[in-house]
Parts: sequence; C-alpha cells; structure tokens
Amino acid sequence: MTRTYTMITAVVLSLVLAAGVTYAKGDDFNSVVKMIEQFYGVKHEGIPFLARAGMTATRTAARIKGGTARRLAEAGSIKLAVFEDQKFAGEFPKFRSTLNNALNQTWMPLVQTTSATDQEQVYIFLREAGEKFNVLVITIESRDASVVQVTLSPENLRLLLKDPEGTGKTITEEATIIDQE
Amino acid sequence: MKTLFQLKPAAFLIAALLLGCSAVAAQTQAPQTSRIELSSLDHLAAKASQTVDVNIDERLMRLAAKAFSDKDADEREIKKLITGVKGIYVKSFEFDSDGQFTAADVEAIRAQVRGPNWTRVVNVTSKKEGNVEVYLLMNGDQVGGLTVLSSEDRELTIVNIVGPVDLEKLGKLEGQFGVPELGIEKTKEKKNDEN
Repeated sequence: MTRTYTMITAVVLSLVLAAGVTYAKGDDFNSVVKMIEQFYGVKHEGIPFLARAGMTATRTAARIKGGTARRLAEAGSIKLAVFEDQKFAGEFPKFRSTLNNALNQTWMPLVQTTSATDQEQVYIFLREAGEKFNVLVITIESRDASVVQVTLSPENLRLLLKDPEGTGKTITEEATIIDQE
Repeated sequence: MKTLFQLKPAAFLIAALLLGCSAVAAQTQAPQTSRIELSSLDHLAAKASQTVDVNIDERLMRLAAKAFSDKDADEREIKKLITGVKGIYVKSFEFDSDGQFTAADVEAIRAQVRGPNWTRVVNVTSKKEGNVEVYLLMNGDQVGGLTVLSSEDRELTIVNIVGPVDLEKLGKLEGQFGVPELGIEKTKEKKNDEN
C-alpha cells in the first residue's frame, strides 16, 4: 500500500515537474518581454501580421565575418518584440542579474556585452531544441530595444560560436531590418 | 530491501562513515580546477565603455565540438583543440579614460593563479602594448587549464580556459568563441626571442 502510494506520488511529481519545465521553456520569450516592460516601465509594439509575413519572405543581407550573405534563422522560427523611442533608464547590473536568474534554468548564457557610457546591453542565450538550437538575443539601447528568438541549424550554431557578438548582431538585424534587396 | 531510515543505528553509522570517507577520497583525488572567479570585477561594468562577458561552459563546449566539421581543415584543428576543454570564460573591459581599474582589481585575479599547481609561463610588460601574463595549471604532467591576464591603461581582459589545451595552438582560439585578439602568438615569439 505504502509502495503504491509512493509510486503514485513520484509519478505525479515527475509529471508536475515536467509540465513546469515545458511551460517555462515555451514561455521564456514572453517572460523576457514582460520583464523588460516591468523593469523599465516601457511597452513593446506588436508587429503586424503582414509585416511579419514580409519579414519571413524577405531576403536579408546577413553578412557573416568571412562569409557571404545568408539567412541564419530557420524559416518561420523568428519571434520578435520591439520597443521604439522609449526611455531605458535603470541600473543595468540589476537588470542583468534579474534576466540571468530568470533564464538560467533553461538557457545557457553565451555572451553578454554592456556599455555604461552608451547605455547599451546585448545578451545572447542558447538552448538545445532537438537537433537544432534556440537563440535568444536581447538588445537594449538608450531609446530602443528588441527581443529576438530564432532557431538555428547546427551549421549556423557553428557561426554563432565562432563569432558570438557578430552573429548575434546579424540575428537581430535579420529579424528587424527588412532588406528589399 | 531496507531503506536507509530502517537500518539499525550502528549500521546507519557505518554507512554514514563509509559515505563520508568516499566523499573525502573523491575530493583528494579530484584534479584541481582551473576555473577562476571573475565576479570581483563586476563592479567595473558600471564605468566601462564596453564590457564583454563570454561564458562557454561544459555543455556548450560539447555542443561546439559536435558542431565543428571534420571536413574543413581549420575547423578540424579547432575541434581538436577544444576537445576535452570544459569551458572558456572571457571578461573584458574597455574604458574611456585611464585609471578606471586598480591594482587591487588585477591582484584579485592574480591571487587565484598563485596556487601550488599554477605556473606563470609568460609575462610581458610593455608600456606601449600593455602587459600580458599567461598562467598555466598543471595537474601532474597534464595541462589542466590556463588564464591570460592582459591589461593596458584603458583595457582589462581575462581569458580563462578550463581543461586541457594545447599551448602551441592557443593562438588559434583568438577571434573564436569570443576570445579577443590578445597577440598570444606575438607574445610567445617575444618570449622565445628573450630566451
């Protein structure tokens, strides 16, 4: 009887834990957007559906160090939130620590760059997604910010690891700049 | 089968002692880690015009080793170089003016690489090009990791590689994995010229 009860408890507990992890993984993009909104008292702008469709169809000149123009994100994998012309004033060490604490269970911090003089922050996180990889790039400047999540192939992960800063920038550009090439 | 809580007190004591002994044995046999603590420098970020923090831990290193191709000669070499490496950590600060970091900031890092297994293998002091120190951790006759400490008037960079690394090919990591160009090859040449 006790054994059955223990087994049931273990099964229920593991199901609850698994559900929690899945929820956290799936919702991290939105959590980060909300975190920025709450920390800086700003509001993100929704990207109209047609603009999004345009973005996925557009050819982005994503020039990688030593390489040719190419698309990094897997088709249809881009999640984007932008904050335009708002004030991002606040202690960035505090923001950084809040962000890292929120994401460190499911994401690996790859590169974080900050500039006190220019009030700029860039955070790149990575996690495995089956055979592919999710990358989360958070860029905050004094008046603008963006949160981009994309899926990368193993081949493009290589580019990210070789040149994390450059590739992170390219991922953001790819998601936010519509290049009518 | 009895659980740990169902054991008699004497048996429980013996089990606890055995567990304790094996934990102590594991600790004494474990090689010294070359990971150094860089958080003492975090306060510099508030003054820096640019701060770069790279954290490639063991999980990421494993992914990196898988991601690099065996077909391309350069990538094959990098893959070989990073195989077994357990982490690459970089902290770099650039300032707009002199005197933004102190000798105590640098000393906090240096103090960690003064342990018995650490050896300073490179020490270049140059007013023009700045100072570069390379420290190596030896676990027996194996390289267990290294730390590069590079300082100029307006720049401070620490690169910490955890795990075995081929010193001869170290320069190949510059410009990769967020490791900045530190002129390690030039520094080694300089050291060889001096010898």
